[in-house]
Amino acid sequence: MTAAERWLFTPAPLARVAALRTVVYLFIPVDLLLTTAWVTEHKDVPRSLYTPLVIGRLLHQPAPTHGLVVGVLVALLACSVLAAGGRWPRLLGTVVFGLYAEWMLIAMSYGKVDHDRFAFLVALAALPAVGRARHGDTRRSEAAGWALRVIQIAVVATYFLASMAKLRFGGIEWLNGATLTRAVLRRGSVLSDWTLHVPYLLVAFQYVIVAMELSSPVVFCVRSNRVRYVIVAGWYAFHLMTFAAITIVFLPHCVAILAFLPMERLRPVTMVRRRLAVRTPQPVMAGP
Amino acid sequence: MKRVGRGLRLAATGLVGAAVLAGSVAGGDQHFPFGPFRMYATTDRVDAPVSSTRLDAMDATGRTFVLSEHLSGLRRAEIEGQLHRFRAEPSLLGAVAEAYRRRQPRDPPLDRITVIARRYALRDGRPTGAYEDRVVATWRRG
Repeated sequence: MTAAERWLFTPAPLARVAALRTVVYLFIPVDLLLTTAWVTEHKDVPRSLYTPLVIGRLLHQPAPTHGLVVGVLVALLACSVLAAGGRWPRLLGTVVFGLYAEWMLIAMSYGKVDHDRFAFLVALAALPAVGRARHGDTRRSEAAGWALRVIQIAVVATYFLASMAKLRFGGIEWLNGATLTRAVLRRGSVLSDWTLHVPYLLVAFQYVIVAMELSSPVVFCVRSNRVRYVIVAGWYAFHLMTFAAITIVFLPHCVAILAFLPMERLRPVTMVRRRLAVRTPQPVMAGP
Repeated sequence: MKRVGRGLRLAATGLVGAAVLAGSVAGGDQHFPFGPFRMYATTDRVDAPVSSTRLDAMDATGRTFVLSEHLSGLRRAEIEGQLHRFRAEPSLLGAVAEAYRRRQPRDPPLDRITVIARRYALRDGRPTGAYEDRVVATWRRG
């Protein structure tokens, strides 16, 4: 086995996959009903405004109808909630991935494509391959390690390739351009409008963004967990700031970032049970 | 892990990796999910105006209002993504009017939709406060 292969299959605790899987699948109802609820609105849009993606054409995907959109929505809600429980991980996980892929075709085929969910799609594709993984199971497996690793790679690729796209489409002059000014003008909030009037602030921030994106692969080189968590915290801080400034948040991507964290330490159900056990008074032994 | 499982995972990793790299180098948005991650990747000149698009609508009673995302079912970015189609073929806006009718079946239907690009003037990357509205396309019920 080569060093690259060993790295790709570094064994990881099954409990980490179990925890991440629950969060990923529970995020789907949030995504469908709350944070990207606009996808459902495509149910009313006539087919002449449908502009299929290459993948939709290859699969001979017809223009979504009202019935299809509502059907996929309902099926996806039901399957994702079931999958969050960890039952039939391979079967349900694969069904959820298929339905969510169809959901993406409905979402992205009307003139605008979003770039916030590549890593989330990789997570949906990779997690079913782990098979059974129970909460609290500290055994390590190569299958769990591979799934977490490819999600991590997808997260880093999103950042790194975003800088590549800036170079390709914007050129090196992107750094000194007015891209953020334009973004704040179009989508600014009370938290960000002031930045328009501070000279060079938004240009400086453009340098910060590219530095962050290009340096993201470093997360794979650091040995200390603490440094890795600091890097991850930095990414979350960046997304939080972007949300405050232009109300855009890469939420599915933020969920995928969790693959870098020891998710198995979060045991809400066990914690609640322990609390309750402490509070419940023990029966007193009856005296003679 | 069995050899087959390992081999399949290696192949999947390689294929998806190659696809997303190829998409970033030579692909476009139509190659989703393997297209380039071009969020805010274009360079805006510090003195070129910033454009923001909206749809103005007039219904059968003569009431005029801005056609919001909620009313039309389409996001602003989607309208902007199809702007070239609306410009070439304004009758396509009839489909937007149809979406409005499906979403608000009890309201009077739309008689007119105008696509307007508001261009904010910039100087040194900061707004001067001046703006200009341009009509990109107009549709009238025929």
